[in-house]
Amino acid sequence: MKRVTREAFLVLMAIPILLWSLLPIYHIFLFSISSKDSAFSGALWPDHPTLRGFGTIARQEHFYLHHFWIQIWNSLWIAVAAGVLTLAIATTAAFAISRLKVKGGRSVMNLALFTYFIPAAFLAIPMYKAMGAYGLLNNRWSLVLAMVTLAAPYAIWVLKQASDKLPFELDEAARIDGATPLQLFRLVYLPLMTPSMVAIGTYALLLAWNEYLYGYLLLSHEQTITLAVALGHFIAADDSPWELLMATGLVYALPPAAIYYAFRRYMVSGLTSGAVKA
Amino acid sequence: MAAVSFQEIRKDFGKTKVLHGISLDIADGEFMVLVGPSGCGKSTLLRMLAGLEDISGGRIAIDGRVVNDVESKDRDIAMVFQSYALYPHMTVRENMAFSLLLRKDPSSLIDERVNRTAGILNLTPYLERHPRELSGGQRQRVAMGRAIVRDPKVFLFDEPLSNLDAKLRVAMRAEIKALHQRLKTTTVYVTHDQVEAMTMADRIAVMNDGRIEQLGRPLELYDRPANLFVAQFIGSPAMNVFDGVMKNNSVYGLGTQWPIPAGTTAVEGQKVKYGIRPEHLALGDGSVAAEVVVVEPMGAETELLVKVQEQAFTVVSHGRSSAGPGDRVILAPSAQNAHLFDAASGLRIA
Repeated sequence: MKRVTREAFLVLMAIPILLWSLLPIYHIFLFSISSKDSAFSGALWPDHPTLRGFGTIARQEHFYLHHFWIQIWNSLWIAVAAGVLTLAIATTAAFAISRLKVKGGRSVMNLALFTYFIPAAFLAIPMYKAMGAYGLLNNRWSLVLAMVTLAAPYAIWVLKQASDKLPFELDEAARIDGATPLQLFRLVYLPLMTPSMVAIGTYALLLAWNEYLYGYLLLSHEQTITLAVALGHFIAADDSPWELLMATGLVYALPPAAIYYAFRRYMVSGLTSGAVKA
Repeated sequence: MAAVSFQEIRKDFGKTKVLHGISLDIADGEFMVLVGPSGCGKSTLLRMLAGLEDISGGRIAIDGRVVNDVESKDRDIAMVFQSYALYPHMTVRENMAFSLLLRKDPSSLIDERVNRTAGILNLTPYLERHPRELSGGQRQRVAMGRAIVRDPKVFLFDEPLSNLDAKLRVAMRAEIKALHQRLKTTTVYVTHDQVEAMTMADRIAVMNDGRIEQLGRPLELYDRPANLFVAQFIGSPAMNVFDGVMKNNSVYGLGTQWPIPAGTTAVEGQKVKYGIRPEHLALGDGSVAAEVVVVEPMGAETELLVKVQEQAFTVVSHGRSSAGPGDRVILAPSAQNAHLFDAASGLRIA
């Protein structure tokens, strides 16, 4: 009986939260299947729903969408590169600090936390200058590097906490079994860290995928900007094609949703692991 | 197989001295147990032998080769951890094959060795399972299998049975001992449990506070403890000990007279600690009056907690006892089995 009451309570809680989060998405969807003139009619369902907007996007048939495919490719390329690079840096750093116990590891951890005292937006201009100095402006790598810079400290922190929870005897057993540090990393550490790594990799990937400010500053050419920046251009016009903006936005939101769905098993355990001492 | 030698081994953690110059020679094929209370340095000593801790001073040699600066993997040792430390993502087979794989043995040899070891340890049906699918005892056996499969010079065990329940512990104890008799590999076994030490060891090193208190065969330690610490640490239930004074060739203590073994060198008036094991106190026909506090019938024997004045004694008598709480009984200490220790130094008086 107590369990039933509890379940009922949870369901009652879930309904408003679900509505709250789905309502905006529903409206985006509504916009995207409405024709331009009926977009602002205020109806909960358009009189003549149409998928034409999506066709326009796919065929790049609008002024703002002439480079849609290359821009979504840029987004994807940058997000994946940022995810992979962050993961590589954070995993090796966490391994060195937590397992190999290298000298100065604690200082690195503290520095990593310290970076978050400065809001990312403050760093945008210095970052722009730096990228300019290295001739990276308008290059996809500039955004990748910027995103890795922003994501790595948190990633190192979480992965370090997670790897602290692996029993140290495993390393000792492996050492006695004859493993070099590199073999220990590859054969014992990586397989056991996979759940946390999936979570952190996804975090960095989505951070880069969703990034607007840095993309806007560091990339400026139609061919090099990400879709997030391109979406921003829509609003620059006096007469914005809202239905296309929303349809593109919907397309843009699909990959993250797919990633979340695919890795949902790792997300909860990965993001909370290291948060509390088990 | 190999002999192991510790020479003047010291270990400091910063300013804390953990081991104060331990010297110990372990013979080829010997089963040596390091036993002592927690914090006595026994695990540290083992981990130094394993190469998992730096050596602050002294030398460790395996098979005549000084290994102070040799990596764990090159010492040809295998270790069984208290927590088993099985690789959770690998099957039993992969766990056991791991070290052989790392040293690049041919796969036919690996298969043969893993299968043979699994056979010895009754693990054959579980080879394709993961550690999480095994019971505590099975995991323990896999941990041992991982050590055996390498055919190392020395086995190291670090409290391998403390995570098991009492019944399984007894069973595994016998299994490890049988295994040693079969493989005859030099073994260093760390435990805080003196029963494990007594039942398994060829020789025991009783450690306390970073020193070896006594080294000897199990029954030597039991029959002739070198000092008060060993006397009270070895044996279960523990030895009864109280203060007394030498007088007229016996010990006066607790308001009565206690008989002492023949040929003792204790001198008249010397303050001593008198020790007597629970089974060496017979009920009836003696000189010491006591009051029964608790009776614990075990079936084959009976344990009685009695009081002589305010001092508690444990008495173990074979068979059953009709005594009940509150009863007055007379204890007869066995003179030949009594132990005398100097009250100041705690050392045995011959």
